[in-house]
Amino acid sequence: MPMSDKDQDLDGLGAFFDAARAHSPAPSPDLLARVLSDAEAEQVWITRRAQAATEAPRAGLLEQLYRLLGGWPAMAGLTTAIVAGVWIGTALPEGVSSGAEAAYLVDITPEAVFELAGDF
Amino acid sequence: MPFDATEDLPDDALLARFADGDAVAARILTLRLTPRVMAHAYRLLGNRTEAEDVAQEALLRLWRQAPVWRAGEAKVSTWLYRVVANLCIDRRRRARGGSVPIDAIPEPEDGQASAAEQMQDRARADALQSALDQLPERQRQAVVLRHIEGLANPEIADIMDVTVEAVESLTSRGKRALSALLAGRQEELGYADER
Repeated sequence: MPMSDKDQDLDGLGAFFDAARAHSPAPSPDLLARVLSDAEAEQVWITRRAQAATEAPRAGLLEQLYRLLGGWPAMAGLTTAIVAGVWIGTALPEGVSSGAEAAYLVDITPEAVFELAGDF
Repeated sequence: MPFDATEDLPDDALLARFADGDAVAARILTLRLTPRVMAHAYRLLGNRTEAEDVAQEALLRLWRQAPVWRAGEAKVSTWLYRVVANLCIDRRRRARGGSVPIDAIPEPEDGQASAAEQMQDRARADALQSALDQLPERQRQAVVLRHIEGLANPEIADIMDVTVEAVESLTSRGKRALSALLAGRQEELGYADER
């Protein structure tokens, strides 16, 4: 009891407060079900947010790189350049290994070869 | 952890388990806190349906607060009393004038009084609730927290964000007003027998 009996007797309200405590309104089964349902739904969200938070840094870096390069137009150009580079890199050696092109490439600066040799 | 062992944990420990996805903690907290929150909301509002809505909303806010709850900084019950009070004040302000006048309290039926000590007690509780409904919000909140919930003045001051002296003043004025409102009902509700 929060107050002494004497205090309550003085103001005449003790019996009313006692009665109020004895007749606390109980929650209905429906309310308990609603509260528990909220709790369970919120737990699902909390778990999902926690999982998303652990995955966010990796996704964030990729996102930042994408935006830094200028979005999808820049990514398309970059992809084209990469593909072209790979194609040139793999196709060129076969082209220069045969015929007059190979001789031209070898003879184009013969003096440089002698100058370099003379330094030793 | 089994249900029985978890049941003895304090509110803040259960809330931490709740935030970690513990379904048992969710059930225990629901069963432990809903009656308290519901009863407090009813005493501030005087309307069962609205009190249930407030109780659900207050507890939903608690569930959402769980992941960032800092144990030891505030008691869960203190936090809930504050949230319930704020929600009730909002509702009463939206629906001003919806309280039941004290004259509308059902009178004990003649001829059944001798057989109905339980009924008399119920009538007292109803009479007090109706009188509480007529108090200013802050007085009602202070009186309910002090004399029905049984909290100490410093905790009430924390909940209401006022000084302890202000709490004492609010409860004192509230009780004077209740005495005046119930003065005409004390004899018929059996108060005279208690003296």
